[in-house]
Amino acid sequence: MYLAWKELNHNKGKFALIIVLVTLISYLVYFLTSLAYGLASSYTNGVTKWQADNIVLNYQANDNIMMSYLSDDEYDRVEASGEKAKLGFFPAIISLKDAASEVDTRQAVYVFGIEDGSFLAPNEYSLITLPNGMIMDQSIKDEGYNLGDTIEITRTNGDKIEWVIQGFTEKATYQTAPIIYTSMDNYRLYAFGTIAAPVFSAIVVRGSVNALGNGATGETLVNYDIQTFISTLPGYTAQVLTFSLMIGFLIMIVAFVLGIFIYVLTIQKINMFGVMKAQGISNRFIASSVIWQTLILVLLGMVVGLALTIVSGIFLAGIVPFATNVLFYIVISAGFIIFSVIGGLFSVRAVTKIDPLKAIGA
Amino acid sequence: MKTLIEMINVTKDFLNGEDVIHALKKTNFSAAEGELVAIIGPSGSGKSTFLTILGGLQRPTTGQVLIEGKPFSQLSDKQKTNIRFTKIGFILQQSNLIPFLNVKEQLLLHDRISGNRVNKDWLEELLTGVDVKRFSKKYPNELSGGERQRVAIAKALYHNPSVIFADEPTASLDTKRAFDVIKLLKQQTKIQKKATIMVTHDERLIEFCDKVYVIVDGVMTQREM
Repeated sequence: MYLAWKELNHNKGKFALIIVLVTLISYLVYFLTSLAYGLASSYTNGVTKWQADNIVLNYQANDNIMMSYLSDDEYDRVEASGEKAKLGFFPAIISLKDAASEVDTRQAVYVFGIEDGSFLAPNEYSLITLPNGMIMDQSIKDEGYNLGDTIEITRTNGDKIEWVIQGFTEKATYQTAPIIYTSMDNYRLYAFGTIAAPVFSAIVVRGSVNALGNGATGETLVNYDIQTFISTLPGYTAQVLTFSLMIGFLIMIVAFVLGIFIYVLTIQKINMFGVMKAQGISNRFIASSVIWQTLILVLLGMVVGLALTIVSGIFLAGIVPFATNVLFYIVISAGFIIFSVIGGLFSVRAVTKIDPLKAIGA
Repeated sequence: MKTLIEMINVTKDFLNGEDVIHALKKTNFSAAEGELVAIIGPSGSGKSTFLTILGGLQRPTTGQVLIEGKPFSQLSDKQKTNIRFTKIGFILQQSNLIPFLNVKEQLLLHDRISGNRVNKDWLEELLTGVDVKRFSKKYPNELSGGERQRVAIAKALYHNPSVIFADEPTASLDTKRAFDVIKLLKQQTKIQKKATIMVTHDERLIEFCDKVYVIVDGVMTQREM
């Protein structure tokens, strides 16, 4: 490390260019990761908030919760170790009732109908005191929605329903849209026009599902573990895969670029290393110096790249789906380090092949 | 005087296609403590072959090299590397200094690698002895050719080796600086009780040497002083 650090200090300009390059690429990787995680989270926040293990849908819905309708009978048939809860699910377009006519306040949301005391309810659900009260994801505040506002939802038949915002909750989005948590009656009134409709969309289970009770009636229910359910969300897997591939390739590009830089720098120093070898300095010392140099460059670039990402996140958090995840940063940083060291090993190979005889001109 | 390095019946042959080139014919050589020995000869005569076999950078075809009476040339590469690091100091034609270390750091690098405690008194004595103390914070590119070679001498001596190998140490210097360097080398060889073997083609330097060997076509003979 001593030689590596001394050389970096002595040739600041030359190495600063390499560090800038590593910084820019690592910044891109960290930023993309934060965007990917933010976007993926905004797809699944509403689901992970349940802290559930399984979800039961109608078999005929073909993985699509929107097309799933279940009855109370089916709810009773499902045997679970742990808690189970009914979930009513329906998309909606809402707008502010008292907004000026020229202001477009329409927002796409998902309505989650839940029963009183259900574990699906966020903590803030207890704030609801009105029969038409509801809780919303707090991101809706940025669109001008405030506590106590009345929102309008237009049913497919043109009827308008009015609900009152009685609280906000954090991280309550589904497929990037805010969630409205309201009673099962309100959900049924909106989705089916009557609170008497004895249907809902899914059974969410915290624990394991022992039996679906399909029996002689044929396969009418199907159980998914939550991760499988998330992976069936439209576009989710494709999006996560796309980002993962981009990030993976960028990490390898950094390693490749850094490997080439270090290799070129090593080749430039062949004569010096040859003389050192003639003087009895071991391959191990010289090679470790090369690897340390790689590590220092990648660490400095990574730290600055990560700092830039965090600063960018502070400024862009409300504009883009940016979310930090320490575990991802650790994994990516480890990837940078491992692949860069592999890149540096090509230079180590070059070092071991240096012939001190040639270096000293014999 | 104690013999520090010996070459006994050493030969070195190379294959050039199907031809065998006898780069070094049967050679016996020794250098004792306090001796400055010159090896002279024309280009291609076998001087560098001689020095690199002596320094363990090439294996002799036959014969052996002893350092402080112990076998050296037959050791494994790793063992020879270790002996070179501890027992031999090198001064090369182009100064063998590391461009991004200052003068003091050049010397202390040996301690850094070996993990030895820095001997500050010895460092000061050496830097003063070769008259480079005032440059101790300077980098090689800030020094003249003569100054660089003086630092190279200090570097070769710092880890207290038994033997110093100097390969054309004055080649890049003018006459005055070349004489300054050789005088310094001789002085340090005597004071530090080293055996210094210097390969050179510069006949002006031999008056400073204790022994002179001439190599022509791979045959080494001692010249009368």
